[in-house]
Amino acid sequence: MLTYVLKTLWRHRTRTLLTVSGAAVAMFVFCFVGSVQEGLTRLTSGADADRSLIVFQENRFCPTSSRLPEDYSRRIREVSGVRDVMPIQVWTNNCRASLDIVVFNGASPDQIQRTRPVELTSGSWSEFSSQRDAAIVGRNVAQRRGLTVGDQFSIGDISVKVAGIFSSSVPSEENLIYTSLEFLQYTRGLDAAGLVTQHEVLLSDDADPDVVASRIDEVLRAGPVATTTRRKGAFQASTLSDLIDLIGFAHWLGYACVGLVLSLVATTTVMSVQDRIKEYAVLQTIGVRPFRAMRLVLAESVILCLTGGVTGTLLATAALAVGGFAIGAEGATIAFRPSVSLLATGGIVSLLVGIVAGVAPAIQAATVPIVNALQEA
Amino acid sequence: MALVELKNVSKSFTKGDETITPLDDVSLEIHEGEFVSLMGPSGTGKSTLLNLVSGIDRPDSGTIAVDGTEVTRLSRSKLADWRAANLGYIFQTHNLIPVLTAYENVELPTLLLKLSSSQRRERVELALEAVGLTDRADHYPRQLSGGQEQRVGIARAIVAHPKVVVADEPTGSLDTETSEQVQVLLQRLNRELNITLLMVTHDNNAASIASRQLTLDRGKFREPEEVVA
Repeated sequence: MLTYVLKTLWRHRTRTLLTVSGAAVAMFVFCFVGSVQEGLTRLTSGADADRSLIVFQENRFCPTSSRLPEDYSRRIREVSGVRDVMPIQVWTNNCRASLDIVVFNGASPDQIQRTRPVELTSGSWSEFSSQRDAAIVGRNVAQRRGLTVGDQFSIGDISVKVAGIFSSSVPSEENLIYTSLEFLQYTRGLDAAGLVTQHEVLLSDDADPDVVASRIDEVLRAGPVATTTRRKGAFQASTLSDLIDLIGFAHWLGYACVGLVLSLVATTTVMSVQDRIKEYAVLQTIGVRPFRAMRLVLAESVILCLTGGVTGTLLATAALAVGGFAIGAEGATIAFRPSVSLLATGGIVSLLVGIVAGVAPAIQAATVPIVNALQEA
Repeated sequence: MALVELKNVSKSFTKGDETITPLDDVSLEIHEGEFVSLMGPSGTGKSTLLNLVSGIDRPDSGTIAVDGTEVTRLSRSKLADWRAANLGYIFQTHNLIPVLTAYENVELPTLLLKLSSSQRRERVELALEAVGLTDRADHYPRQLSGGQEQRVGIARAIVAHPKVVVADEPTGSLDTETSEQVQVLLQRLNRELNITLLMVTHDNNAASIASRQLTLDRGKFREPEEVVA
């Protein structure tokens, strides 16, 4: 009977192709929206986001406006529950929301190697540590900008030599470029000698992040610049708050895509059944059970939906894997990455939508008044 | 015992303000191996009777039994199972599935039975051979002539080895020559394979090949005429 279903779809191949391609486009968008949301969730609630703190200048949001003394790190290190502190100078080419944001983080190369979840896929740490203008570049940035080890990369007043390309288990890291702290502090135009944008605090295992954060702000209150210390996830959520609102709205776009696939496949299946209502009457006359007729129609809609949906999902996965897309604002970035859960969601949603889209026409085919349908011209 | 037994069957329906009663308290017995033709003016309930016997329509009153099974009491699903195993239906307009080849069309009823693939293949090949279309097995309906399509329809009706085959004007849409070929085929299937046939027709020639001719008029059977073969 599957032959019958497949041949029926092939018989109306233009209609089938249009429906499948429509479903593919809609599921492509659905997966893209899903990847943005997954990226945001990873950024704001991953292990890295919960077990480290960011000390930023009070009432400042953009990296260019936060200027903290570098030696705050010494005082922060004395706070109970702090395992390590990394002073970071941040430079970004764009404080506003952008799809091609370039973010430099200047920090001690030794500390970067020791504390950041990065792994060089090419290049060497020794070159990065020994050369003043050397930089290691996140895989996504390298992909977007076409950078390889040995290249010279210039943007604004900054010019670095690519000493390595790294990947990371934290996708947003792959949108960063790391340089040494001194290099970024002394870059023309920054005038940041002895100053950093933020301090990243790594907590000991038993430390309560919120208690430590309050304690750090208390200790630094006596200093020349007041600070606000938050969990890294909360800091990034606050930094990206405008984008988060937009992304929250965009999830409706994802649902709209599912609705689009549903109506598209349902329309095609209804048309297909109505065109062949006499065929279903003939099938039931020769002994096909109503429930079997129903299954034939459901198979038709599920095949349409799965073919389109899975194609769209695979294309989205490929685009996300190859494109290295990210959106960022004020130095924080959300990476769009493919994932197994996204693939599974695309497949499951396609299957469910295929079943739902086929229910009404399947019932129509199963309950066709046989005699009346046979009398149709 | 009769193979097909109708007892006091009535069926009526409304068309606008008018109530039409194509079958009014009719009774009929058809025995195994019989070839019964059913004639009568248009709208006198011939096709209605055929539909009731095949279980695709239900009577308002009365009972219909085929080989001891009272089809009027079966659910829609059970009726489908019963038809798959016991009934072959030959349509006037062939009603072949256009996307399937002649072989696949004939194979359809066998997919509903518990048969192995080799048993299915054997039955389909025998059915196509019986109607003389072995060499057209891979052709699609659009590649066949009207007569060939009807023969595929007949092969589809007999492939499951049904107890009874009903035919609704099987020669109605064919030219005279093709019509005669189909009549000869039906007669041969009845005689050689002992298939019980109930055929509705407007054509006196087609009716004359049957072993018993019945006429329906205004919801009632006229006296049946026994035809000497």
